[in-house]
Amino acid sequence: MCVTVPIVHVVDDDASFLTAISRLLRANGFSVKTYSSAHEFLAQRDADAPGCVLADLRMPQMNGLDLQSALAQTPNPLPILFLTGHGDIPSTVRAMRGGAEDFLEKRAPKERLLDAVTRALARDSRERGVRDRQRELRARFDTLTERELEVLSHVLQGQLNKQIAWDLGIHERTVKLHRTAITTKLKVQSVAELTRLTQEAGIFPEPVRTFPKGL
Amino acid sequence: MSLITIIWSVSAAACLTLAGINLLVWFQNRKAWANLFFFVLGTGTAAWAFCELRMMRARTPAEFATVLKWGHVAVWLLILSLVGFVRVYLKAGRPWLAWMVCGLRTLALVVNFLVGQNLNYREITRLRPVLFLGETVQIAEGVPNLWMLVGQLSFVFLIFFIADASITAWRRGDRHRVLAVGGGAMFFIIFGASQSLLVFWGVARVPLISTLSFMGLVAVMGYELSSDMIHASELGRKLRVSEAGLHDVEERMRLAVEAAGFGVLIRDFARNKFWASDKWRDLFGFSDTERLELDVILQRIHPEDRERVGLMAERARSGYGNYDMEFRAVLPSGEVRWIGARGRVEFDGTGKPAFARSVAYDITRKREAEDEAARLRRHIAHVDRVSMMGQLASALAHEINQPLGAILRNAEAAELFLQDKAPDLEEVGAILADIRKDDQRAGNVIDRMRGLLKRRDLERRPVDVGEIVGEVAALIHSDAAARHINLNLTVADNLPPVFGDPVHLQQVLLNLIINGMDAIAEADLEDRHVSVAAVCNGQIVEIAVSDSGPGVPADKLAHIFDPFFTTKPNGMGMGLAISRTIIEAHDGRLWAENRNEGGASFRFALPIVEKDASKCA
Repeated sequence: MCVTVPIVHVVDDDASFLTAISRLLRANGFSVKTYSSAHEFLAQRDADAPGCVLADLRMPQMNGLDLQSALAQTPNPLPILFLTGHGDIPSTVRAMRGGAEDFLEKRAPKERLLDAVTRALARDSRERGVRDRQRELRARFDTLTERELEVLSHVLQGQLNKQIAWDLGIHERTVKLHRTAITTKLKVQSVAELTRLTQEAGIFPEPVRTFPKGL
Repeated sequence: MSLITIIWSVSAAACLTLAGINLLVWFQNRKAWANLFFFVLGTGTAAWAFCELRMMRARTPAEFATVLKWGHVAVWLLILSLVGFVRVYLKAGRPWLAWMVCGLRTLALVVNFLVGQNLNYREITRLRPVLFLGETVQIAEGVPNLWMLVGQLSFVFLIFFIADASITAWRRGDRHRVLAVGGGAMFFIIFGASQSLLVFWGVARVPLISTLSFMGLVAVMGYELSSDMIHASELGRKLRVSEAGLHDVEERMRLAVEAAGFGVLIRDFARNKFWASDKWRDLFGFSDTERLELDVILQRIHPEDRERVGLMAERARSGYGNYDMEFRAVLPSGEVRWIGARGRVEFDGTGKPAFARSVAYDITRKREAEDEAARLRRHIAHVDRVSMMGQLASALAHEINQPLGAILRNAEAAELFLQDKAPDLEEVGAILADIRKDDQRAGNVIDRMRGLLKRRDLERRPVDVGEIVGEVAALIHSDAAARHINLNLTVADNLPPVFGDPVHLQQVLLNLIINGMDAIAEADLEDRHVSVAAVCNGQIVEIAVSDSGPGVPADKLAHIFDPFFTTKPNGMGMGLAISRTIIEAHDGRLWAENRNEGGASFRFALPIVEKDASKCA
């Protein structure tokens, strides 16, 4: 597996500030790429590379908040940090609700800035790990047939083979065969492990009930 | 006493009296030559009356002859003065006729003394008593002197002279005088001359009674002269009455003028004299008796206004006539007064100034009120700018924090670089240059803001419209960006400069752009822009601020420039009113219209600097 260095993407229409902040970040050991507009960033970014975004809130055409929502639609939603000359409450609230990592004034103390960037990169790496695991798990789940998924959902609801056979109108032995196929394909040993894995992969949107009905 | 003595004495006395009166008149008025001639005429007549009386009472022929000889002196005086009187009184008569009469009469007088016993007789042989008016009087008998014809010829010419003068005067329309003087003189001369002719040639045996005709002559002339005098005194009385009336009118005028607070100054150019009313003296701080001179008056005018007032007065004197000006007067007490003065120069026939009349009034309070109004207007404009700055505060904070943020990050980066064992000094140098640049940037923002916030008077100078548009755009662009509004600037190339105050013009532009952006915020449309376009159009530069908002409702279009009219929840309603005031103070025009393609367009036109007029055609 190729190890890629995380990149701090700085987006600001003010060329002077762009140069200054990239100097500081580089001097602190970060890899930095600069963009003069949100469009430029969206067009040039590496779709899968790790990193974070440091964007000016006020920019002509597409501003920071617009960039945040555009970024959220992509498969690689990098954490976003907002910079502002002078913050106002409504846009701060909107930014934080949209999942912004932090909201910094342009003249915020250096330590806060660097901490925030480090934190954002850590979060990216963490989220990236989660996303990778999910992707791997989903690949495993994708091998299950329609019927096996149906059986799995009943298993996860804590039903016995007999009940499942009754519900699905099939023979109990057939249910057993499906369960064996599921555990083989998903590489699990127990129902408990199966439950955790399903949750981790986020397969079923509704919360999975882990206790039998009627109990 | 005998009747003859009474008649002749009374006649002589009357003539002398009238003569005396006229002599006095002549003394009063040395130009009244008619009166002097009358005096001589009257005196001569009285003397002749005396001679005639002596002749009538003569005891010997020799006495008769001597009296007659001396009597001719009186006749000579009488004729000459009569000629003079007619000439002066009727202002007519041919000079040659007059000289002829005088010459002949003088010749007769000379002959009178040289030839024979007198002009009339070579020799008087005897006296003959005759009865006249119930008395015995003497008449002469003897050899007539043929030289007598010279004297009689002088009478003929005298008659011609008087007739000629009368005709001339009659034609001129002076009929009353002609009838009295011309007619009377002719009648009595003919009567007297013919009587003496008959007597001297021995045809009629009666004494000489030409005194009576001369007396009649004197009476007629005296009557004329005294009626002239009565007429003159009547005129004098009327003049006094009308003078009194005039004085009355003048007094009423003066009262009205003083009541209105006007001071009056009259300058007589020919005599170089000034006359001023009390109020005028009061206005300029002159005492009632102080003598007014041009220099002294000019000294009372404020030094800063003196030249302007001088130029204005010069222009009025050199033919323009009227003037109307306002200036300051400095009183001796040091008090400064604003004076309004209006006047007119009157010219004489040759086009030279004759009189200047002017009224002056105190306009200090009016000027103070105007200054106060201007001060208030500036104050409101200032408050408006301050409140506008309040609206812009977040945009401006952003504008300043941008360079400050860059400076901070650059400084922090430089610190780190310098901690290296082998610091990249080239990089540090670049950082320092950037810091300097950003500091300049922050300073510019502050300067622009301070310039707009400062309260000050209008200071007009040639201004580049493009620069103003650029400055305002720099102030507002981040605010526009935050509101998702595109700011389009279109400034025509080679715009000629306008004559204006850059800060005030920036305020107007800023105001209009903010209004345009506010209109869009309410509208919330896809196309969001405010465009600023500056073009040259003849002698003016026109700047249009158009927005893509909903436009101004038709019913509000007429009121948007009224003070305190606003459609914004937090608006003061002063922005457009002040903008219009500012533009009008620049001799320009500000108006609003709705565009066909939607949105409002606010336009203002400013006159270009005159010497650049050719650049824009």
